[in-house]
Amino acid sequence: MKVATNASTKILPTLCRMCETRCAINVHLKDDVIVNITPFKNHPVNRGRMCPRGIAAIDLFYHPERILKPLKKMPDGRFQEISREQAIDEIADQLQSIKAGHGARCVGVWKGEGAGFYQQEDYARRFVHAFGSPNYFSNDSACYNGRYLGHSLVTGFWNPFPDFSVADLILLFGTNPPICHPPFMREFADAKEKGAKLVVIDPRLNPVACYADVFAQPYPGTDGALCWGLIRHLIETKNYDTQLVEQYVVGFEKIAAYAQRFTPEYVEKQSGIYAGVVEEIGQLIIKNRPRISFFAGAGLEHHENGVNNIRALAILGCLAGTLGLKSGLFWPEEMGGRKLTLYDQISLESEGPIGADKFPALYDLRKECHSMTAMDYMLGKGAYPLKAMVVTAANPAVTNPNTTKVIEALSALDLLVVNDFFLTPTAKLAHYVLPAATFLERSEIHYFPNKQIVNLTAKIQHIPGVENEYRLWHDLAHRLGFGEKYFPWNSEADVNRWILEPTDITLEELARHPEGLVYKPIRYQKFKNQLVPTPSGKLEFASSYLKNLGLSEIPEYIPPYHIRCAKENYPFVLTTGARKSLFYHSRHQNIPRFRTIHPEAFVEMHPDDAAQLNIQHNEMVRVSSEIGTLDIRVCIRHRSELRKGVIEIYHGWEQWPVNLLTYDALNDPISGFPLLKGVPVRIDKIDASTSAEHQPDAACTT
Amino acid sequence: MKIIYVEQDRCLACRNCERVCSFQRAGGFRQENTNIWVHIDLDARSIFTMTCLQCESAICMEVCPATALQRNPETKAVTVNEHQCVGCKMCIAACPFGCLHFENLRQVAVKCDLCDGDPACVKTCMAGALHYADINELAQRKRRKIDLKLSKHPFFLQGLFPK
Repeated sequence: MKVATNASTKILPTLCRMCETRCAINVHLKDDVIVNITPFKNHPVNRGRMCPRGIAAIDLFYHPERILKPLKKMPDGRFQEISREQAIDEIADQLQSIKAGHGARCVGVWKGEGAGFYQQEDYARRFVHAFGSPNYFSNDSACYNGRYLGHSLVTGFWNPFPDFSVADLILLFGTNPPICHPPFMREFADAKEKGAKLVVIDPRLNPVACYADVFAQPYPGTDGALCWGLIRHLIETKNYDTQLVEQYVVGFEKIAAYAQRFTPEYVEKQSGIYAGVVEEIGQLIIKNRPRISFFAGAGLEHHENGVNNIRALAILGCLAGTLGLKSGLFWPEEMGGRKLTLYDQISLESEGPIGADKFPALYDLRKECHSMTAMDYMLGKGAYPLKAMVVTAANPAVTNPNTTKVIEALSALDLLVVNDFFLTPTAKLAHYVLPAATFLERSEIHYFPNKQIVNLTAKIQHIPGVENEYRLWHDLAHRLGFGEKYFPWNSEADVNRWILEPTDITLEELARHPEGLVYKPIRYQKFKNQLVPTPSGKLEFASSYLKNLGLSEIPEYIPPYHIRCAKENYPFVLTTGARKSLFYHSRHQNIPRFRTIHPEAFVEMHPDDAAQLNIQHNEMVRVSSEIGTLDIRVCIRHRSELRKGVIEIYHGWEQWPVNLLTYDALNDPISGFPLLKGVPVRIDKIDASTSAEHQPDAACTT
Repeated sequence: MKIIYVEQDRCLACRNCERVCSFQRAGGFRQENTNIWVHIDLDARSIFTMTCLQCESAICMEVCPATALQRNPETKAVTVNEHQCVGCKMCIAACPFGCLHFENLRQVAVKCDLCDGDPACVKTCMAGALHYADINELAQRKRRKIDLKLSKHPFFLQGLFPK
């Protein structure tokens, strides 16, 4: 029997941002209370389906631990609730006095994944630039930038997601799409239904590898050797796009000469992938080209040789003729709206952006500062001191490498402001904590470049006292005196209208289309009519830009640290950052139903390694690297899941921060990425009394 | 009659169906509470997903001594009346597909009830492997798919299969 009530119900479509996939959802409200979230039917990204993260947005929004009032740290170290006006005033005063005393560049802004990308990122960039500092940091320093640079240095652009559904062959490198990009699953299945083959290359056997036709398990960080082996295979057998190479490529001879040494036997020696398998993958590429999707996940970039490995993969994609195709290296177009960033108006390059001297490519191509180097600047070891940092929805105390140093550096700041949903380990170090708004509390423009679609999200809720990112930057800017000039808009709707003004799409039209609007018709193979956006206007197999910076011109393969500098004391190779279902980096761990699947952290290892060290399942061990140590329980995995000698720890745990073990100063020379996957470590038993306690509820799942 | 159909060759084992099923039933993501199971065999690198087929002549229903298993007149799902279930596990032993499970805490047999006609697992299956549709429609879909595969088979191309 249904009970009739007077409650008013409405359904508002918007985009989910529990992860960066951004599926379309319907939010059901009953008397302004969110009662349910269901998938939106007609969006091309998720097509009426939604993963369990989506509905957990309710848990995030109504979480009992959410910060709802600004907090100020008192001299005794405790937090006290203050009014928002007081918080913004005091923060603005302190920023002003640091600017007056030390210069504007001593203030930085750090935008985290929790806030989002696109518009949220541009607000932060705009604010810090208008303030007069070039120091914009983000989570991209340890995720995304490596792949962006790797592809951009070869082709001048990067489309993160090809359309897998029309490919004849899909090659996945270091990625676990069922967990990190759920909509890909449909595309894989569609492609396989039409007879496509799937090749998965990953140091871990994830369930997606069970779905693959070919699965190869390299040692961490050796994907570059495989890419070069495949390049050699294509060149040796003369099965590459010769027309493309003749007309649109610079440096082909150089890579052809360099590829010589990557015989299948050499690749086997480096990566552990059998020579026969390398040739089999090569044959598959030859048979199915050009309709091939090469996809590099974050697994490729978290190495000190990552960008070159990704460049080699991009070159492989070009040789196979996938450039400009729907299934391959598609070149997306921008909408042409106004940009919130101020790089065209104010140049602050002379102010010495942090890390731009060490990793010039990072600042040139991404206009982003290097967050690992920032720690040195905070500790007074840089060219100038970094005195204050405004962090929004980032958690570097968990997610940045070398946790000990990160905590020391953040504690050394004169002013640390953290804008977040919860009191994270980073927020606990702050002088001021501001309550952040979730994606349900803001209206912003989203782009899906691979489909050239634009979407507007709806502001569904407002909690009094909790303001969104735009309000934060707007209010701070007005207190600091540049609000009138740079943040003149009263509401997000005004900002959105201003962004859309040069385009022929209006805000009202966008609001009427929750399924998204195609902002420009898609054109394939544009490189035939138009120069690619590299310095030479051609595909740069050899980059003179990098040569001028004193870096290797072609993407030379450098064996990873654990092979190059093998150490007897540290016999195991630790990889971090393999995705755990439903978690998103350091987010979602406080959602109780998610936590029932992953109650605690484990070091996952091969049964033979455990037997050799006489370690039992669930036993507490000490994992040590050159950087630090971590006590953690052991989970013995199936013998084919990880290679012997390779161990794995998830990266986002607050209580078990694996970044205590990772290197912040062993960086990729181009992107500055830290070494996160492929850390030499040692495992020691802890004395028997502590390990005897048994936890029955600890079944480890992926 | 509508059932949940698993298109095995589309399942990538993300296990989201298991999670929302257990959540739907018991409020948490615990594998012991689910009524849909994703079996991953890492040795054979194979995936197999299974849930109740809502058999037309359901043996679980026939063997139940307490007549606790009944067919829902609206959804045609075979459902367990937990007030009537005596916990004898006969249905679990009888089901040839192993698609019922026993809940120790409450001592009742539990099975898929099609979420009253709006299965949560289907809505969360982002691979499109789960379908909730009329059984005849599903049979046709299956046939079409096999025909498509056969049409590309070398034997067919050589005219060795009857048209």
